[in-house]
Amino acid sequence: MNEVAFWTSPAVQACGWSVMTIGLYLVVKRVYRRWGRWWQMPLALTPLLVIGVVLALHVPYRDYYNSTGWLIVLLGPATVAFAVPIYEQRGLIRRYWPMLGAGMLAGTATAIVTSWAFASLLGIDGSLRLSLLPRSISTPFAMNMARDIGGTADMTAVFVVITGVLGSILGEFMVTLLPLRSALSRGAMLGVAAHAAGTAKAHELGTEEGSVAGLLMILVGMLNVFGATIFAALR
Amino acid sequence: MNTRAIAVPFRRRFHSSRLAQIGLLFAVWLASEGFVRVVHIPIPSGIIGMFIVYILLAWGKVSPLSLRRGAQWYLGEMLLFFIPAVPAVTAHPEFFGLLGLKILAVIFLGTLSVMSATAMTVDLFYRWRVRHE
Repeated sequence: MNEVAFWTSPAVQACGWSVMTIGLYLVVKRVYRRWGRWWQMPLALTPLLVIGVVLALHVPYRDYYNSTGWLIVLLGPATVAFAVPIYEQRGLIRRYWPMLGAGMLAGTATAIVTSWAFASLLGIDGSLRLSLLPRSISTPFAMNMARDIGGTADMTAVFVVITGVLGSILGEFMVTLLPLRSALSRGAMLGVAAHAAGTAKAHELGTEEGSVAGLLMILVGMLNVFGATIFAALR
Repeated sequence: MNTRAIAVPFRRRFHSSRLAQIGLLFAVWLASEGFVRVVHIPIPSGIIGMFIVYILLAWGKVSPLSLRRGAQWYLGEMLLFFIPAVPAVTAHPEFFGLLGLKILAVIFLGTLSVMSATAMTVDLFYRWRVRHE
């Protein structure tokens, strides 16, 4: 086998891109743990580096996706894993369900209305506007919801990541700006608005904030998926 | 007596094995994937799997210890699994310009609004409850 054919064969490409993606992720995680600057956040820096490599090597996204798409499929079992933290936090739900439910509904309604309104104001429409609607919720839920309401799942994945980064940075200022009395509201704010990235920030604020954020991130994701499923069935 | 002699060490090893627990999550997911294909319901298989696991936990059929390590690892590393979706922007050169800035503005303002609405709602309920307790 000649050398060029070896390096361009699909199997080698798939391995190469997968190893590169996983490798960058592990390196960035280590860097963030060591220095902890906000721009080193794995959520922000890893995708940027991967985009950099893909652009620098002039690889079409299709090729990259064909090699690494199996990682996205693994988000399915991740959704199953959410059952464990929900079960372990069931005491929190039983105790505070009215206010957590109200916060979730307010957050979801605001997310959908403001995305739609701001997008329309700036002249964004069609499937791009629809892809912006589920960006506050966790990726596995958001990609499902995007498909149901007629958006594009891979665009939504990008918006979800940007929302997470912005949300966890904004969270820092919002906690000092808003007159919040309870750990519950700080956790809800981060979990509902900025999914896993917000939940990580909430864990930095405190254990109760972290638990509330983690729980609400899952529940709000489910609420949105069910809403979108009903919407898709009625349409 | 014999089943017990096998079951107890097995359970102990399962509770400490992250890999076995991840395997169990996979098995549940595959089963729900099959279920969704056969029954044709418009609910994502991950969510069906989540309900199955929750019910097993709530009925005491499965101990949380049998899943905690696996679930913690999986949720902790979740970021890795959606990184491959993000370079999709490179297929859309139109985003590297005014449209991209507009989208950023929508996300920024939207996130700010969601945070305020959620936090203020929960806090109002909380204050009301504290006053009436």
